[in-house]
Amino acid sequence: MKSYLGIFKMQFKSELQYRGKAISGVATQFFWGLLKIYLYLAFMSTATVTGFTISQMLSYIWLGQAFFAVSYINLPKNSAKEIVQGDVCYKFVKPLNLYNQWYFEYFGEKLASTILRCFPLIIIATIMPASIALQAPAGTIYFLLFFVSLIISLFLSVAISMLAVYLTLKTLMPKGALGIVNVVTGLLGGSYIPLPFMPQSVQNVLNYLPFRYISDLPFRIYSGSLDIKTSLIQIGLSLAWLLLLVLIGKLVMHSALKKTIVQGG
Amino acid sequence: MLYRKYLKMHIKSSFEYRLNTLFIAFSQTLITIGELLVVYLMFQRFDSVGNWGFYEALLMFGIVMTAFPIVECFFRGYDEFASLVKSGEVDRFLVRPVSIHYQILGSKIELSKIGRILVGIISSVIAIANLHISWSISKVIVLIASYICGICFVLGVFVIGAGISIYTIENLEFVNIFTYGSKQLANYPINIYNKWLTRLFTFVLPVACFNYLPLSYIMEIGSMPSWLYAISPLLGMLFVIPCFLFFNLSLKKYQSTGT
Repeated sequence: MKSYLGIFKMQFKSELQYRGKAISGVATQFFWGLLKIYLYLAFMSTATVTGFTISQMLSYIWLGQAFFAVSYINLPKNSAKEIVQGDVCYKFVKPLNLYNQWYFEYFGEKLASTILRCFPLIIIATIMPASIALQAPAGTIYFLLFFVSLIISLFLSVAISMLAVYLTLKTLMPKGALGIVNVVTGLLGGSYIPLPFMPQSVQNVLNYLPFRYISDLPFRIYSGSLDIKTSLIQIGLSLAWLLLLVLIGKLVMHSALKKTIVQGG
Repeated sequence: MLYRKYLKMHIKSSFEYRLNTLFIAFSQTLITIGELLVVYLMFQRFDSVGNWGFYEALLMFGIVMTAFPIVECFFRGYDEFASLVKSGEVDRFLVRPVSIHYQILGSKIELSKIGRILVGIISSVIAIANLHISWSISKVIVLIASYICGICFVLGVFVIGAGISIYTIENLEFVNIFTYGSKQLANYPINIYNKWLTRLFTFVLPVACFNYLPLSYIMEIGSMPSWLYAISPLLGMLFVIPCFLFFNLSLKKYQSTGT
């Protein structure tokens, strides 16, 4: 465990070095947020959406932008190169579990880039003109639940990324593998389009899939779009998905390991 | 002539890695279909936006989704110019007795974008078939000009990005706002956004010139004289000229990164 925490710390610190990249990222996320908000405001002026008010939409979008690093599925830095070029064998020979190595490495990277980016964006979003600003949470309890749910999101998102790593390990085609994982999580998780805009029948299905727990759920809880009882049930479900996905990830990674052909020397 | 050789080489190399090209093309097509689904779902929930319906938006989606991958396929070199600057590859380009633009064009051709181009074209066809337009020759010309204008626009933005990377070395994520931001914006009629965004994306970055303005001419709506709508794609195409001027000017300031 100690060595895994070491891996985590190392990645966390190294990611904190890239402050220039983070500033550029914040600017990009901010502008994206504005675009989305003006688009949805235009749509929402034509009809009301049940269970999703304009102020809830504002929080949903701004939080989505602030915690973009949480919900965006990527591969751990260097892992694509390691796998394709064969450096991955250094990971194999260490007396550590392969899945855990990548998991902790990526968790550190993700946490650092989230921390660097979320605060500036939240501050900017709060001081925007009232009609497009990030709204206050629905209540203290909602805020606490939001925070819990967000932490689970972080773990869950890394677990989903591990499946993308597995796909890359299998196919040796990081670009394609990542593209597929991204479109699935983006569309079904609510970062392409807020889930409340989807038809009810589709929402009923998506509510039980893991993808919405890395973006949709925490933001809905924050704005009070879900009541406390539903929130608690959903948080429980997201925990169950987290355990299941880590288990699946470990199993498939283990099986892939047996058949891996290391590229080059 | 040289370009044909480049093209042949890239086609050959992507056929060497058939599975890889196919897999990437598949995943790219899936992404585009996902984006299409978003537009569809928005119009499922809300019937219209600013008097525009689903098929009008689909045609705009079709135009931008055709223009964008065409540029990404054949002009990818400009998009990835930053990596050439960083690795010092540009030095080699500069000493060869061929224009640098020619070499950038040849440096990368991504055939995996074909799937996306197809989705764009199919969306346009479906939209046109479902829109009740009384066609005339001038309308057909304006429509074709819109596609060309779209291509010129995306190319222009890529060239600016390449020009900026000469100063910054690193490819800045910020430039994506203009490339992928305009792409996102152009999925819907541009006049539904608020005033300053509409102005920015009409007069500074002429997204409206292949989006809302020519469509207004084809649909025979809008309050301005119709000839103004009709020539808008032509005006939009001019955007690409200052972009290349900027790039050439930046290149004079180019400092090698060494190695």
